[in-house]
Amino acid sequence: MRLHPLTGLAAAGSTAVITTAAGSWPLSLAVVAGALAVSAAGGTARRLLPAAAAVLVPLTLSLLMVHGLAYPEGRTVLAEWGPARVTAEGLGFALQRAVQVCAAVLALLAFSFSVSVPDLVAAMNAKGVSGRFAFVLASTLTLLPAIAAQAERIRTAQEARGLVIRRGLVHRAAAFRLQAVPLVLALVDDAGTRAAALEARGFSSSGPRTSYRTVPDSTAQRLLRAALLLAAAAAVVLRLLTSAAGG
Amino acid sequence: MSSPSLTLPSPAPAAARRRWLLEILGALAIAGTYVFLVLNQPADITGGPGSASALIALSGFLVGAILLIIAVLPSLPASTVVLIPVALVLNIVLGQFVGSTLVPFYLDAIGTVLIAVLAGPAAGAATGALSSIVWSFFNPTVLPFAAGAALIGCLAGLAARYGLFRRFYLAPVAGFATGIIGGVVSAPVAAFVFGGTSGVATGAIVSAFRSMGDTLLAAITKQALISDPMDKAIVFTVVAVLVYALPRRTRFQFPFVRRHRVLAGKTPGEGAGQDSTPAS
Repeated sequence: MRLHPLTGLAAAGSTAVITTAAGSWPLSLAVVAGALAVSAAGGTARRLLPAAAAVLVPLTLSLLMVHGLAYPEGRTVLAEWGPARVTAEGLGFALQRAVQVCAAVLALLAFSFSVSVPDLVAAMNAKGVSGRFAFVLASTLTLLPAIAAQAERIRTAQEARGLVIRRGLVHRAAAFRLQAVPLVLALVDDAGTRAAALEARGFSSSGPRTSYRTVPDSTAQRLLRAALLLAAAAAVVLRLLTSAAGG
Repeated sequence: MSSPSLTLPSPAPAAARRRWLLEILGALAIAGTYVFLVLNQPADITGGPGSASALIALSGFLVGAILLIIAVLPSLPASTVVLIPVALVLNIVLGQFVGSTLVPFYLDAIGTVLIAVLAGPAAGAATGALSSIVWSFFNPTVLPFAAGAALIGCLAGLAARYGLFRRFYLAPVAGFATGIIGGVVSAPVAAFVFGGTSGVATGAIVSAFRSMGDTLLAAITKQALISDPMDKAIVFTVVAVLVYALPRRTRFQFPFVRRHRVLAGKTPGEGAGQDSTPAS
C-alpha cells in the first residue's frame, strides 16, 4: 500500500513543528539524518541535496556571521578584533539555530521532492480543499519548466536579432526589458485563453465534482495522520506552557 | 472572459459576510502576532532555540495568511485565478534572472506586484501568500514570510487603486513606502524563526548593528529598513515598465484597471472616439 500524500505532508509538517518546539540539537540532528535517509531510500536524494544546499549554506553562513561575530549577551570571549567579539555563546546559538532550521527544511523538502503532485491535488480535492488552491499549486509546478523554457527561447530569439548584454546598468536594464516584455505579454495572453477554456468547463461553478483520479487511503493512515497532528499540537502547547512557567 | 457568469447565481450576501469575517480575522491574526512579538521580544530571544516566540511567529503569520487565502481565493474571477500561477512563476523566473544578472538584489515579488496592479489588492494579497506557500515546495524557509508577502501584494494593489501607477515617478515612491512596511513586518519572522537572515550580505549588515549593541530584532529591523525599501522601489518600477509596455487591449481587459483608472491614458469607453463597450 502506497503512502497517502496527506500522510506524508502530515509527517513532514509535524516533524518540522516538533523539532522547532523541542529546540534540542540531538533531536534536530536525528531529524536531519532521518530526512536524508528517507530521501535516499526514495531515490530523490540527488535532486534534494542541491536544492537543500542552495537554501541552507547561505543561511548557516549568515547565522554564523551574525551571532559568531557579534553576540552582546555572550560572556565567554574566544577572540576579539575591534568591535567584533567571537563568543562561545554566540557560536553555540548560531549552530543550534542552524541545525534546527536544517532539520525543518530537510523534513519538508524530503516530502515535497517525493510527493506526486497529481496525487496530492486529487487528495486535497477529496478532502474538500478548494479546487482553486489545488489548481494554483498544480498549475505553478507544471508551468515552471515550460515558462523557463519559453524565457530561454525569447532570449535566443532576441540574441538572433542582435541583443548583446553589455556591461553597465543601463544596458542590462534595456536587455532585461527586451526579454521580459515579450515573456509577460505572451503569458498574460495565454492566461486569458486558459481562463476562457476553464470557464467553459465549469471552473467557477459550485456543487459536487467527481474526480478522475482516486488516491487509495486506509483507516490506519487516517489514524496516523490524526496522531501526528495531535503530537504536533501537544508539542506546541507544552512548549508554550513551559516558557510561560519559566518566564 | 472576465464578466460574471450569466447562468450561475451571484454569491449570496451570507458568503460575502463570511468573506469579510475571514479577511478581518486573517488581518487580526497577522497584526496581533506582530504586536505580541514586538512587545514580548527582549525576554525571550536569548532563551535559546525553540523559543516560544518562533512558534508564535510561525503559527500566527501562517494562520493569518491562510485565512486571507480562504477568504479571497473563491471570490476572484477565473481570469484572475488563472493569472496567479503565472505570477508565481514570474516571481521565480524573473527574480532569478534579475538576481543573477542585473543587480545584487533579491527581486522576488515582481509577479505579485504585477497581479496587484492588474487585478487589485485582494488578488495581490492572495498571490503573495500563495507564492510563499507554493515556493516553499523548493525552499521551505520562505513559508513563514507568507504574511509579509501578502501585505506587499495588498499594499501594491492599494497603490494602484489610488492612482500611484498613473504617474511613472510615483511608482518607485509607492514601492519605497511598501518596502518600509513590509520590512518592518517581516523582521520578527527572520529574528525569531531563523535567528538571523537568509543571505550573507544581509547577515553582514545585521552583524554590524549587533556589534553596536542592538537587540537581534532591532538589528534585523534596521537591516530590513536598509534593503527592503530599495528592493521594492525597483520591483515597482520594473512592474510599471512592464505594465505600460503591454498593449492597450491586454491592459484594459482587466476590470480593476478600467474601473479605477489605474494607468495613465484614456480608458476604453471614456473618450468620444472610443468604442463605448468594454473589452470583455
